[in-house]
Amino acid sequence: MTSQIPKKKVDFGKSFEELEGIIEWFESEEVDLDEGIKRFERGLELARTCKERLKEVENKVNEIKVKFGELEE
Amino acid sequence: MKAYTVTEFIEFLNAAFIEAVFPEGVTIEGEVAEYRVSQGKWIWFRLKDEESMVECFATVWQLRTPLEDGMQVKVFGRPKVYPKSGKFSVVVERAEPVGEGALRRAFELLKKKLGDEGLFDIGRKRPLPRFPERIGLIASGESAAYSDFLRILGNRWGGIEVNHVHVQVQGADAERSIVAAFARFNADPELADVLVLTRGGGSLEDLHAFNSEDVARAVFSSKIPVVVGVGHERDESLADYVADVRASTPSNAAEIVVPDRGEVEAAVDAAVRRIGAAMESEMRERLARVDRFVHRLESGVMGAVSSFRHRLRDFVSAVRTFSDGVSSLQRDRIRLIERLVSSATSWSGRLSDRLLADERLLSGLDPENVLKRGYAIVRAAGRPLKDATEVRVSDSVDIRLHRGALTATVTSKR
Repeated sequence: MTSQIPKKKVDFGKSFEELEGIIEWFESEEVDLDEGIKRFERGLELARTCKERLKEVENKVNEIKVKFGELEE
Repeated sequence: MKAYTVTEFIEFLNAAFIEAVFPEGVTIEGEVAEYRVSQGKWIWFRLKDEESMVECFATVWQLRTPLEDGMQVKVFGRPKVYPKSGKFSVVVERAEPVGEGALRRAFELLKKKLGDEGLFDIGRKRPLPRFPERIGLIASGESAAYSDFLRILGNRWGGIEVNHVHVQVQGADAERSIVAAFARFNADPELADVLVLTRGGGSLEDLHAFNSEDVARAVFSSKIPVVVGVGHERDESLADYVADVRASTPSNAAEIVVPDRGEVEAAVDAAVRRIGAAMESEMRERLARVDRFVHRLESGVMGAVSSFRHRLRDFVSAVRTFSDGVSSLQRDRIRLIERLVSSATSWSGRLSDRLLADERLLSGLDPENVLKRGYAIVRAAGRPLKDATEVRVSDSVDIRLHRGALTATVTSKR
């Protein structure tokens, strides 16, 4: 990979699921304060990332050509 | 006149039929009679009308359309005289039911066959990705289904790629182009996390391709999960039954493949509130503990500091009185002691400042202030309720609000 490649897009699903994991952690465990602060900050960061991603309104449509040759088995 | 041998004659006839008379094959319409399959491989039947009939032959691999006696069909094939028996028949390559009744019957027969094979089994249906990044859309680029799907998709969600393969959704090429689209996506899984096959509604004849065995099998064998959305609510197709998820319309397919951004945004906000509340209650508990500790420390330390300060002062004045006229060395020592006194004083001042700041922080976390922001405390049997499993449906709970309190009954739990 070269630096020319644009930054990899945020995988929304991964961020959102990590956020859900943090909620679960907070609500199911005896919270260790240091770990709690770490996860809290990570949670806020993920929430920010997710909300940023939610601002994208356009979907990109690409036409994929299927050559007629590929129709034959 | 030249006499043919029998073999020559049959060869001549076959050559004439195939090469001269019907080079493209022949299409014949009639009613199926005496349909039978032998050894699971060979299909025999007769095609007839009021006055005539012709023998037909096919293999089960070639002829995929299920037929039965009485069905009106168009068969496409090539006429042939079999040298060994001298029998004339049409070698059928494909058959199409004619008319709504025959189509309906063929649909039912194929549905039963594929169902028996397990193509519609609930157990094989795969979950769809919650947040797809790439959608493979198999639809006619000119159709309303295509634009409806993209419109609803855009209303709900953004920032994803839709990889579209344009296909014929009816007519002679429909089946093959749909099967090829599935092959294309499955050959390159980078193109799609989920596939959507869609078209508008139509008659059974229009939906022919969506009811074909080859398309059903393409949906079935796709490694990428498939949503099929055909037509209006009441239209059904075999492709629907095989799909991992069936959508009632093209718009509904869009609703199924992507979540609604408003709902997800609300979920993200709720997540922030939930971890914030958890963190806050944790901090409050810790700070209360620190507070008690600091109070103990304060009374202890402040007492010690003040008596230390007094003792120092007494000591210094005693030294001063005593040291009138003593050497400069001793004066340096006195200045050192004075510095000690002043630094001890400023240190105790800083400690007091910190204690004040902690107190302000603690009052910010006062449950009363939290209630003001719209939170509530739920108590069951007098104890704060933290876990839904601690109460049963129809239990009574007390809810404390910022202003006033409620008694409520649990009607359901999640």
